[in-house]
Amino acid sequence: MTTPITYEETKMAYHALAAVVLPLLAFVVNCFISKNKAAGWVSTIAVLLGSCLSIIVFNHTFNGADIHVGGVWFTVGNTNVNYGILLNNLSTIMLLLVNLVALPVHIFSMAYMKHDQHYGKYFRYLSLFCFSMLALVIADNFVLLYGFWELVGFSSYLLIGFWHKKEVAVLANKKAFIVNRIGDIGLLSAILLLFNQYHTFDLQQLFGQGGLVQQAGNQTNVWQWVAFAGIFFAVCAKSAQFPLHTWLPDAMEGPTSVSALIHAATMVAAGIFLLGRVYPFFNTTELDILAVSGCFTAFMAATIALTQNDLKRILAFSTISQLGFMVMAMGINAYASSLFHLITHAFFKCLLFLSAGVVIHEMQHIKDDNKLDIDPQNILYMGGLRKILPVTFIATLIGGLALVGLPLTSGYLSKDGILIQAFEWSDTKGGAAIIVPLFMLVTSWLTAFYMARLIFKVFFGNCRLDAVSGIKFHNSDRDWRYWLPLIVLSICCLFPVFSLNPVLYEQSWIYKLFSPSNFLERMNIYHTIIPVGLNIISVVVIYYAYAIYIRDKKFKPFPQHNKMFALSHNQWYFNSVYNSLFVKPVIVLGNALFWTDRTVLDGFIGLLKKITLTLANIAAAFDKYIIDGLLHLLTQIVSYIGNFIRSFQTGKVQFYLASMLAIVVAWFIFKTLI
Amino acid sequence: MISLTNFLVLGAALFCTGLYIVMAKRNAIQVLIGIEMMLNAAILNLVAFGRFDKSANGGQIFALFAIVLAAATTAVALAIILNVYRRYKTIEPDKIDQLKD
Repeated sequence: MTTPITYEETKMAYHALAAVVLPLLAFVVNCFISKNKAAGWVSTIAVLLGSCLSIIVFNHTFNGADIHVGGVWFTVGNTNVNYGILLNNLSTIMLLLVNLVALPVHIFSMAYMKHDQHYGKYFRYLSLFCFSMLALVIADNFVLLYGFWELVGFSSYLLIGFWHKKEVAVLANKKAFIVNRIGDIGLLSAILLLFNQYHTFDLQQLFGQGGLVQQAGNQTNVWQWVAFAGIFFAVCAKSAQFPLHTWLPDAMEGPTSVSALIHAATMVAAGIFLLGRVYPFFNTTELDILAVSGCFTAFMAATIALTQNDLKRILAFSTISQLGFMVMAMGINAYASSLFHLITHAFFKCLLFLSAGVVIHEMQHIKDDNKLDIDPQNILYMGGLRKILPVTFIATLIGGLALVGLPLTSGYLSKDGILIQAFEWSDTKGGAAIIVPLFMLVTSWLTAFYMARLIFKVFFGNCRLDAVSGIKFHNSDRDWRYWLPLIVLSICCLFPVFSLNPVLYEQSWIYKLFSPSNFLERMNIYHTIIPVGLNIISVVVIYYAYAIYIRDKKFKPFPQHNKMFALSHNQWYFNSVYNSLFVKPVIVLGNALFWTDRTVLDGFIGLLKKITLTLANIAAAFDKYIIDGLLHLLTQIVSYIGNFIRSFQTGKVQFYLASMLAIVVAWFIFKTLI
Repeated sequence: MISLTNFLVLGAALFCTGLYIVMAKRNAIQVLIGIEMMLNAAILNLVAFGRFDKSANGGQIFALFAIVLAAATTAVALAIILNVYRRYKTIEPDKIDQLKD
């Protein structure tokens, strides 16, 4: 490092490092006590200590200078690859956020996974996951970042497929893993291209204030585009954006507490975090692409969420939609708002998933206790749970209101901020750009509708299992490990945590973290009219949902066999389209290659084999009959001669005499003739 | 006057007879007899040729030597035949073929 590091900075760096390493430590410890019920406490205490440390780090670095410590890790040729920690506002707030969200999830998990026979293994994976995400956040260069990026993908693979005896879970984690691989290839290519251009992996040197990327200016060459495509795919895969979003709904097969963690501040936030890290890299056209893609994803996922019946799937599509908001906010240059929404969303989505976990736990108990044949995640079987699960009900309500973005919640501040900025952006762009904020408005109303539908179906009305007489309830949220996280997270979903003024997002302290925060001046009517209009219509939409689902059940505006309904219910047919577009051709190609291998290659080899065999047979015959034959002939001749000569050696005197006589006579005849 | 040719013809006939006996007879004694006949044929020739050597009578002298040698040879051959008989219990030369292998 070029600048000298003060004692305080070193201390903070060690604090941050400790906060990151603690879950790893918990992971290692849990490897040895995997059969023990203490595993949950080990992981939870690690995260608790990490949270305290990250609060200290955050307080210290809040709006201070960046802390960048590290050293040379290894050298390849003339290139030094560093290890190190980069603490700026973005990484410290992410560090804090990941820890703060992981803590309630850990506490919740201790109760939720209590009866699972792989309790220890669960906390091992959870700690590994937390470690990789925390390390990803504070990594100071692309090599480390990529490593932990992969590790996040891998540990999420372990967690999604945690119930590995369930086939759907295994399919889901495979899908998540493979889709994330596509994004990883993109990220890797982008890193290599950036390295090729700027000869460094260091994030601060590349993207810092006055860094290499800023010096290079607004690049539009072809490599810029390829690198952008790589980063775009990486973000799409991790943050479940179109076109790589299909893994996230399937990933709901993992334990619900895992879903809460993956959806809140960790896995899916990594994509937004990456956008935040490399933000100066993008040129204006690329930002527009991000805006449009985020807008489309948000809208698409919201329409799908309208008709899903699986409790967790609705929330999963909601996450995809909200991440679309964040990507779009990045695209319209509302950097600070995007991260603000990431932070608020982390709390209320975590809250919603944990509440869903309580509901599913309750339904599972009802199913088991009453020996029913129902899917505990299907909202069509739920209803009237507000009396049985009061804490969960309030928590879900607060989380839902925050997600919809009604006033007094944190979601109101961040989401309306994004929408206002989107309108201002479209003003500066002009023309068709107005489509983006309009679609975001519609998406917000859709959000209001599907959240209202979810809450009404689950908590209001009568229990749909009334047909079963004498039903027994479990009252899941009596356990402090259930209600404490819910209450804490509920408080974090309210406005005072982020801004003292409940209606003016501009006054939130988050904006002070990320400079320059633009669109903050209340220079036009948008700052008033959009929140008002948005929320009034949201309330109308919620009332509409109430009318449909609670007040008057005969009021059925949605024909269930409509094409639109089918489109939404089947998740825009993305899975089947991908199936026929990519999976089937690959299988066909695989079969064709298999056939080629079997018939053409193996046939050719078979032919070669036959030719060789024939040649060998000919050679063998030649050897046997000609070579050996010659030798045998020779031996025959020799033995014939030998036998012939031998035949004279009869041992009979008279025969000797006769032969002598014959020879002498022959000799005389011979002499006489010549 | 009996001509030399007649003696030589008789000698040749005797020799051939002796030769036949030596080759054909199965009894060693008879073979011996055949050999004597061939010797006698040779002696007859010597005596016949001896007529042309009036001064030294070399042919007759040769004949005497040959007769003595034939007697000695026959004695030795008889001794061999006796020994062969003792060993092989036969005097047929056909059956005494252990020299072969």
